[in-house]
Amino acid sequence: MALLETFPEPMRSHLAKLPCPSFETHPWVQGPALSKRRVALISTAGLHRRKNRPFEGMTGEYRVIPKECEANDLIMTHVSTNFDRTGFQQDWNVVFPLDRLRELAEEGIIGSVADYHYSFMGAADPWEMEPWARNLAGVLKGGRVDAALLVPV
Amino acid sequence: MGALAHYLEAEGIPTTQISLIREHTEIIRPPRALWVPFELGRPLGIPGDAAFQGRVLRAALELLESQEGPVLEDFPEDAPQGKAGLEETAQAWACPVSFSAAPEKAGDEGELLPALRREIMELRPWYDLSLERRKRTSVAYFPPEAASQFFGSVLLGEAHHIPENLASPAVALRLAAQDLKAFYFESVTARPGFATPGASEFNRWFWQQTAAGRLLKSVRRICADSQDQEMRDAAVRFLIPLDQA
Repeated sequence: MALLETFPEPMRSHLAKLPCPSFETHPWVQGPALSKRRVALISTAGLHRRKNRPFEGMTGEYRVIPKECEANDLIMTHVSTNFDRTGFQQDWNVVFPLDRLRELAEEGIIGSVADYHYSFMGAADPWEMEPWARNLAGVLKGGRVDAALLVPV
Repeated sequence: MGALAHYLEAEGIPTTQISLIREHTEIIRPPRALWVPFELGRPLGIPGDAAFQGRVLRAALELLESQEGPVLEDFPEDAPQGKAGLEETAQAWACPVSFSAAPEKAGDEGELLPALRREIMELRPWYDLSLERRKRTSVAYFPPEAASQFFGSVLLGEAHHIPENLASPAVALRLAAQDLKAFYFESVTARPGFATPGASEFNRWFWQQTAAGRLLKSVRRICADSQDQEMRDAAVRFLIPLDQA
């Protein structure tokens, strides 16, 4: 399996130098059985709807993606050039698995799909994202979400 | 990504996540994480393979039923192509497009612009077909002709025309390059009888064998000396992948 050491240079050094916060506490929230959970996707791929303004830089805010969003309405304006975009260009589910999540709900594996999903621009400083993330938690509670699936890019 | 999970969980939202770089997740220690051995940009593994994606998704969600944490598990399957260590796996890919004018014969910026326009004209029918069949495009703000016009103005030092909803020429520079690359990918993969290239194969072709790739490198060179600091940063940091700069 591939680890950081398997990336070719200069990517290996670039990735190794990315800031990674460490935390003294490890919050842990239990919830109901998976089959009862209401799940929201949270991507850091810099995704948003076409009519929204693009991500303009390394800022910590998020964008809202309604569950009715269709593949051609979702675009990616992440700043980085150092990850593959051709997978997303072929199939949005490889980055934003909304169709797969719907299928799991239909099969009864999860309880339901949340009405709204979210995307940050993952190259932003984690500390820039903190106030937005803490604000988002309240929004998720308002939408009765009790499981957030975070998907990097 | 792991920091977001920490903040959300601290506010009372149960989280689980996919991890692409295990070493980062080991430092951050988010509540629940599934490490996957896939290429950056493909957290669910394989485009177009719903069964595979479903297994990844389910494995990540099932971590929510863990009784204590932090939990970091490894997904047991590899994707058949596109491992994180790109270079070792890349095979030679024969591009289905043979441009009427070889871009390497374009000697300077003045010749690159017409070469770019010719490439766009030759790819356009395949892009249109792709859009018709897939009913989807990742080209967002700059149709290829507009991207060509924008980069032409940058190269020639003329005034830029940018879409109204873009904040600055620097944002336009980055997004026009992304759109141009998406146009090339969607066009070449619409041609019949050719396998879809892996990411590194496509990158190698785009950056080394097309006028578009060469022109973007010229744009980067010129903008690296711009008086506009935002433009300079965008050109140096967000235009060309590290392994092609």
